Parts: sequence; structure tokens; C-alpha cells
Amino acid sequence: MSVSRREVLQAGAGLGVAATVGGCTTFASRYAAAPLPAELPPPKLAHSPAFRLLNRAAFGPVPGQVAEVEASGLSTFLDAQLKPGGDENPALMIALQGIMPLRMDATELRDEPEHEVLRGLQQAAILRAVYGRWQLQERLVDFWSNHFNIYGRKGLAAYRKATDETKVIRPHVFGSFGEMVKASAQSPAMLAYLDNQLNTSAGPNENYARELMELHTLGVGGGYTQRDVEEVARCFTGWTYETRYLKPRGKFRFDETRHDFGEKKVLGQRIPAGGGMEDGLRVIEILAAHTSAAKFVTRKLCKYFVGTDDGPAQRAAERAYQDSKGDLRAVTAAIVKSPEMLEGAPIVKRPFDYVVSALRGLGATTDGSRGVQGHLQSMGQPLYQWPMPDGYPDGAEAWTGSLLARWNFAAALASGAVGGTTIPLAALIQRGGGDAATVAANLLLGSPDSQVPRLEMPADAFAATLATPEFQWR
Amino acid sequence: MEIGYESLSCDLYREAAISRRKLLTGGLLAGLAGLAPSALSQVSVAGKQGRTRDHSVVVIFLRGGADGLNIVTPYGEDGYYRARPGLGLAKGDLHKVGDLFGLNPALKPLFQRYDDGELAFVHACGSQDKTRSHFEAMSTMERGLAAEGGAASGWIARYLSATSSASNSPLRAVSIASVAPDSLSGATHATSLGSLADYRLAGSESFRTALGSLYAQNKDAMAQAGHETLQVLGQLDKLKYADYVPSGSASYPDTGMGQGLKQAAFLLKAGVGVEMACLDGGGWDTHVAQGTTVGWLTGLLDEVAKSLDAFARDMGTRMEKTTVLVQTEFGRRVAENAGLGTDHGRGGVLWAMGGGVKGGKVYGEWPGLEDLEGGDLRVTTDYRNVLAELIGAKLEPADLASVFPGLRAKPVGLFG
Repeated sequence: MSVSRREVLQAGAGLGVAATVGGCTTFASRYAAAPLPAELPPPKLAHSPAFRLLNRAAFGPVPGQVAEVEASGLSTFLDAQLKPGGDENPALMIALQGIMPLRMDATELRDEPEHEVLRGLQQAAILRAVYGRWQLQERLVDFWSNHFNIYGRKGLAAYRKATDETKVIRPHVFGSFGEMVKASAQSPAMLAYLDNQLNTSAGPNENYARELMELHTLGVGGGYTQRDVEEVARCFTGWTYETRYLKPRGKFRFDETRHDFGEKKVLGQRIPAGGGMEDGLRVIEILAAHTSAAKFVTRKLCKYFVGTDDGPAQRAAERAYQDSKGDLRAVTAAIVKSPEMLEGAPIVKRPFDYVVSALRGLGATTDGSRGVQGHLQSMGQPLYQWPMPDGYPDGAEAWTGSLLARWNFAAALASGAVGGTTIPLAALIQRGGGDAATVAANLLLGSPDSQVPRLEMPADAFAATLATPEFQWR
Repeated sequence: MEIGYESLSCDLYREAAISRRKLLTGGLLAGLAGLAPSALSQVSVAGKQGRTRDHSVVVIFLRGGADGLNIVTPYGEDGYYRARPGLGLAKGDLHKVGDLFGLNPALKPLFQRYDDGELAFVHACGSQDKTRSHFEAMSTMERGLAAEGGAASGWIARYLSATSSASNSPLRAVSIASVAPDSLSGATHATSLGSLADYRLAGSESFRTALGSLYAQNKDAMAQAGHETLQVLGQLDKLKYADYVPSGSASYPDTGMGQGLKQAAFLLKAGVGVEMACLDGGGWDTHVAQGTTVGWLTGLLDEVAKSLDAFARDMGTRMEKTTVLVQTEFGRRVAENAGLGTDHGRGGVLWAMGGGVKGGKVYGEWPGLEDLEGGDLRVTTDYRNVLAELIGAKLEPADLASVFPGLRAKPVGLFG
């Protein structure tokens, strides 16, 4: 399997280079999907653990991947996913290089309309989730990008979010939690989103300070008081972004003329007078080392990966957090290797999950652009456009209103009507044994036993399977 | 009916199952195909607190800053005529509602409703945001905030979230416009309908039929929601908006406002769980030649008045369970400008009609036209107090601190 994959990737890279010369990302992304295996046998077990794992640690299996993981073993797969290498799918890398907000810096981007920038950011996220080899990493990016949510339509956030993604989220998903918070606190996108450029010694603004504790680290009821919020706000006075003429725009800047140099007391700890930027850094260290952070962060990760936040997986993760001083690789490992990963309650797929798992499940070729994004918007999850700082909700009740839009996507995808997107329907059916309904159930539900109506037209059988209540869960 | 619950350990399902059991018994026994509309509306409108979601709100936003002083005119103040020598509405043309105020003659279709106590106004109403920017003022108001900055989500979205339950209709909130207003920003059970035709199911006949059997079994939260969504679709399909004949010989103007309200009435009567309907009206930024008893502003008011009258007629007794609010981002400068128009101001007029409104009155502390704020009518009623009072009086109990952060509630007395 690994040999054939390597060959495939080499071929993809060659084609992708040609595509870049042509300057067309759509063309490059067409080759990001690995070719289908020659045969697509049903999973060995009904409701195969490998299928379940791929739905939770990854964005669902691509055709043939369940068999691959069953052969290699679940822990081999997880061990590899926990230590992503540099060998990302080359065709994906080439496609990403063509995407405008990833190619340009924040200053250059300013000439582009906001909706185009948001479209590019979404396109990158979709392509990475669909075609990325390091699926656990992409899942973690989805999680942390929502944890440190930034609303792309406030101020200039759209122009600054790409940097936030590459400097704050991606480098830290397997790193130190405290370091990720420090990076986020210096992210111009976050500072502007939570109004910290207005936080000065003369007129403190508590917005960032409050969310830093309530949403980023300790959680509601995490042991801080209104007085702590005020003191933390004082510590972050002067944390702003560069706006001066001829200085690089859109960069972090500590403006000491706006900083409150007085003594502060945060969660019982004294922060001596005279400190500058180190006041804020010290605050983050205090917060990241707090027992509430260990609890809050691991509970939220467990909710995302195993569906419950108070079981053995959470306790193991909390211990790992404390033992490792917030090392996110250790914390993530404790969760994804827990039995609840395979046995826990079903988790509703957010629209992004739903769309990506459908595209992966059917080996789709997509440009991740307008077509797919229009459907995500109808389902209520246009990426980077959740206005509240808490990120897109993960409970089922938040998404029960999105079913009509999901069904319409299912019908469109199966009939080839999603813009910039195709699925190899005939090849899937032929390699999977010839019966459309059975193939669809194997690929998308991981089991030939699932109750899917037997519809005459293959496209209808695939649409109905994508539309099942079962496929709304992972 | 309990199929599948046992195998699911998550509390969410269990809660959902228990709270819905009572409601669904009737519905499911009646069967998917033959479900009666009355059962449907019960399914769709059961709220979190056990209080039935039987009250609906229509929010109309007049964009551009409607000139409150020429809608509810303070004819009793000489200062009005001094400030508006060219645009002042003559006493004889107004529908006088006391010694101070008179209604613009273009509101004639609503005079009787006002006199009968169905319609009220709140004067000198607005936000604490002193901006004169349309964009900023609208955004502040639709987000339910005191001033610029702060929460980026809309007040309706936060209300929906604060009262969310397992039985949310997919159409809890609808925006009858191509773009959802900021008030719905962050709402998960809101749908934007350029027109009703947009809410439809794609795919082949056999795919659509298959969905009925896939979602016949009430086995998890999404399955239940799908069942309800299919019922809503079936209901809308059966009632056929194209064939809709308004009641009470209501005649809606053939304008965006008129046709939007007609769709709102259709949806509310269809019993598909609509709690909030948002509509827009444009063109209120009357800087030049706004007119008096004829002209630009009069034309706009005539459209709104006729549309609201048609809506109330069409709704009939259902109007008791429906409240219409008409908002604008700010009022206009007291003094007219050289172009016989008015520039951006502060205090404006909010309209309230229908269920629960103690009408026939102009509410709010009148700040007068002598003590102005930079030439503008002062704001004496925070618009959020009207919205908060409406929620408290007529809607589901919600944590008002989360819907309107920082509001120190002060009753207006508008709802009874």
C-alpha cells in the first residue's frame, strides 16, 4: 500500500507542477485526490473500529483507507498521525501555494476584497481537510481555530487570519498550550477582534482579558473574579498591532506608552510594578499552569473527539496535561488512544465535518471553492464567520436546522452538481462490487448492514446515503 | 417510538427524548404523511421552559434613518415650525393624538388602529451610540448593544440561543431578504429567504421520497429534526404560497415591504414554528427634497402604513399572538437643511403594533426641541428596553443579560 501511495504522490507532484505554471489552483487540486484502489472490499467488520477511528481522528476515510488502517493496525495509524512528518501530499501543497491569502502578506492583501480573502482562507481549510495526509493535525486545527475563534468580518480580521492560522494555530497543535496562548495574544487578528488595541492605561478595555480566561484558558467558573479580569486587562495594556507609517502593517506591537506599569495581582499572584510586556506573558504562564485550564482544555478536547467530557479519557488527558505542563501532543494522545474514541457516544458532524467527510468518503475531486463553500454557507458554517468568540457550536441542537441544506448538498454532490467538484461514481460502484446502495453504505457508513433505501439510480442511492441520519454523526 | 435511545449514552439524547415524548406521541401516531397542521405546530413550537412558543415577532428595519419628527410630529412645540419652515407639517394636515403630537397624514391606513389601541410609538428612542454613521448605528442596534464594539452576534441570535431547545424549528427565525440582517448573525436556526421559493428540497423524486422513510424513525436528535424539517416542507408545499389568498380582504402593496409582509403572514399562519421574521425597508436617508404631505417621505410612509394595515387584516385574530416592531438606526436633524431635506440625527421613532401592545399612545420621555444634542433630538429611551420588555412580556423567558449585555432595564410600559 505504501509503495503504491508513494508512486501516486510522485505522479501527483509532477502534474501539480505543470498546473502551477498554468497558474490555476483548480487544476492542481484535481490531482490532490489519490486514485482509487483497484478493489474496494467491504470493511471486515460491520461498524469497523477503523471506520470509527477515521471518522473521529480524521475527517472520515477515503476509499480504501479503512482496509489500510485495518491492515496496519489502529495504534500504528495513530502513532504516525501524532507525529506528522514533512511529507504532505505534494499536489495539496502546490494547490495551497496558489491561494491568495496564503501567498500574500497582510499588507499586500489589503488591495483584495474581503470576501475574496475569506474565500481563499476557506478554500485552503477545505483542501487541507479533504486531502491532507496528516488528518489528526487537520482535525486539531479545526478544533483550535474554533477555540481561538476570530470573526473574519470584524475590522480587518479576514486579512490577518491567515497569519493567525500559520503562526498561532498550526505550529502549536502538538506543542505547548501556554505557547499557543502566547502566540494568540500577539496575533493582530485576535487583538483587533477582542478590542485589545483599545486597552490602554488611560482607558482599559476588558474584552480580551475576559475571553482569555473565560474561553481560552480557565473556562466559566474557572476560579477568577471580576477583579482578576480588571487586573489581567491592566497587564495587557499596550498589546496592540502596528499601524505606524512605513512600519510593517499588521504586525504585533507592544506600545509601552499605553502600558500600565503599576503593580497588579492576578489570581492571588503579585505581578510587580515596572514590568512591561512581561506582565502579559506572566499572566499567560499563570493561566496555563492553573488546574482549571487543565480541566477546561481537556474537557473541551474530549467533547470534540469522544463526545463526552467527563469520562476516563478526560481524566487521563487532564493527568497528561498536568504531568507534561500542557504538552498538547501528550494530551491529544491520551484522548485519541482512549477506548472512548471507539466506543463513546456519537458526535454530530458540524457542516464542515459533514461536507469534508462526504468528499473524502466518495474520493471527490474538488477545488474547495465557490461550489462547496456555497453549500457550507447554506448549512450555517461558512468558515471564519462565527461572530462570537466561542467558535462554532458543537452540540446537535445547534445544527438541527441545517438538514435541508445537508440534503440539498447530498443530492447535488451525488449528481455532480456541486461547482468545481466531481465524484468517480462509476468507478466506485464497479470496484466496490457493482451494487450502488451497498457500495455507498460501505464507503459512507462503514457497514453493508445499514438501512439505506435501495434506489434504482446510482446517484440517488449515493445521495440518500449521504442524507441518512446515520451519516450526520461520527 | 423509543427505538435506538437505549443504545445512546449521551444525556443530550435522553433529555431530548423525554422532553419530546409528550409532544410527539400524537404526531407520530398520526403518521408522517397525514400529520395534521395543528400537531405540526405543536411539535415545532415547544420551548425550553415548557412555555409554548406561540408568540411571534416581526421586526421591520427602516434603513437610512427615518425622520421621526415628520412621522410622529410635535406640532405642539413652536420650535418644530421654527426649525422646519419648509418641511414642517401643518397642524391641519396631522392626525392629532393629543396636544403635543400628530401623526403624518400618510399613516391614514393606521389611524383607526392607533385610536383603537393596536398601535403605539416610542419617541426619542435610539441607542447610546452617538455615531452618525448608518453602518455603525445599524450594526449597534441589530447587535442589541449600547454602543459600538463588543459582541459581534445579533440580539435575535442570542435570544434564540438563550431559549434553544431540542425541538427547534428549522425556521425559528427567517429573514425575508436576500441577506440576513446583523440581528441574526450567529443564529443557527435562522433561514434567509429571498423568497419562499428558496426553501425547497432538491434532488430526484425517488431521493425525496426516500428521505421520508429515512427520517420516519425518531431515533436520534438529527432524525427528529429531519422529521420536522420534512413536515415543514410538506406543509409549505401543501399550502402553496403561489395560491395564497390573504384573509380579511387584505390588499398588500406590490412593493418589497408589502410582499415581504405577505410572505411573513403566510409563514406565520402556516404554523411552521416561525418566531422571528425580519424584513427591511430602504430609502429613508432623506437628505434632499424629502417632501411634506406629498413627496419622498410620504411615499415611503404610505407604503409602510398600507403594508402594516394589510398584514393586520390578513392576520386577523392571530394578530393577538404577533407583535410588529418597526425600527430605524437613528432619527434626523431637527432643523431642515438647505436642500429641503434633513441630515443624520439621534432620537428617532420606534413603532409597535399588535399582540400585547398597549397602543393609542406615544411613549417615551419627550426631551423637547429646546435642549438639543448638537442640533438633534436627545435619546431618552434606550431601544433595548423595548426589546427586553417584549421578551419579558410575550416571549420565552431568557437571560436578558446575555441577550442585551450591560443593559440596566428600565420599563417603558409598552406591553401589557
